[in-house]
Amino acid sequence: MAAFEYRQAQEVRDAFARRGVRYLFIGKSGAILLGFPDTTQDADLYVEKNVENARALIAALLDLGFALSEDQNRDLERGKDFVQLKNGPFDLDLIFARDRIERFEDAWRRRLNVEGFPVCHPDDIIASKISANRTKDRESLPRLQAFREYWLNKNEGI
Amino acid sequence: MKSRVDIPADWLAEFEAASRRPLEQRMKYAFIRTYKPVLDDADYRAFDTMEQYRQWCEKNLPSWLGYGRV
Repeated sequence: MAAFEYRQAQEVRDAFARRGVRYLFIGKSGAILLGFPDTTQDADLYVEKNVENARALIAALLDLGFALSEDQNRDLERGKDFVQLKNGPFDLDLIFARDRIERFEDAWRRRLNVEGFPVCHPDDIIASKISANRTKDRESLPRLQAFREYWLNKNEGI
Repeated sequence: MKSRVDIPADWLAEFEAASRRPLEQRMKYAFIRTYKPVLDDADYRAFDTMEQYRQWCEKNLPSWLGYGRV
């Protein structure tokens, strides 16, 4: 499996938009879309958790070429909190309940648009990483927090 | 807006340089791929709660991958 590419991000954006999926790029992949210069292996999507959105998500994933079984479709519809997909043209982490973000709606209200990509606000990305409190999050936080300051200064008023 | 975090000069230079690159180029530099033992060995995993996912990572993944909680 090759690294996630811009073209694939566009395919996700377009397929999810066609099917009306409500989602946000989160984690370091979200920060990278905002301009954070760092590396990551994962494309993390924060997806609104409800049956209607899950059905739209399944349709979009099938459009993209993911091989979802009936059981996996049921998982998505039933509402798992975390699903890791490596059965498609690229890897995706689907997150339905984010640490430290109480409701998807709150993150959605604060979302940013980067060339049509819906992205979590840096404050939500950082809050989520603080809450996850993994070694890899701890290591990346100082630089991410510095980027947040840089980004806020540059985008004052957003 | 007044900054609450002092941004080291080398990081600031990197942020400025990144801001001048188009998104496609930023993504090309940012997304990398290396094999992650255990994590990459199944094509599908699902967890009812984030806590279950975190516990699974701590129990099953090599610590050097960094998925364990501090």
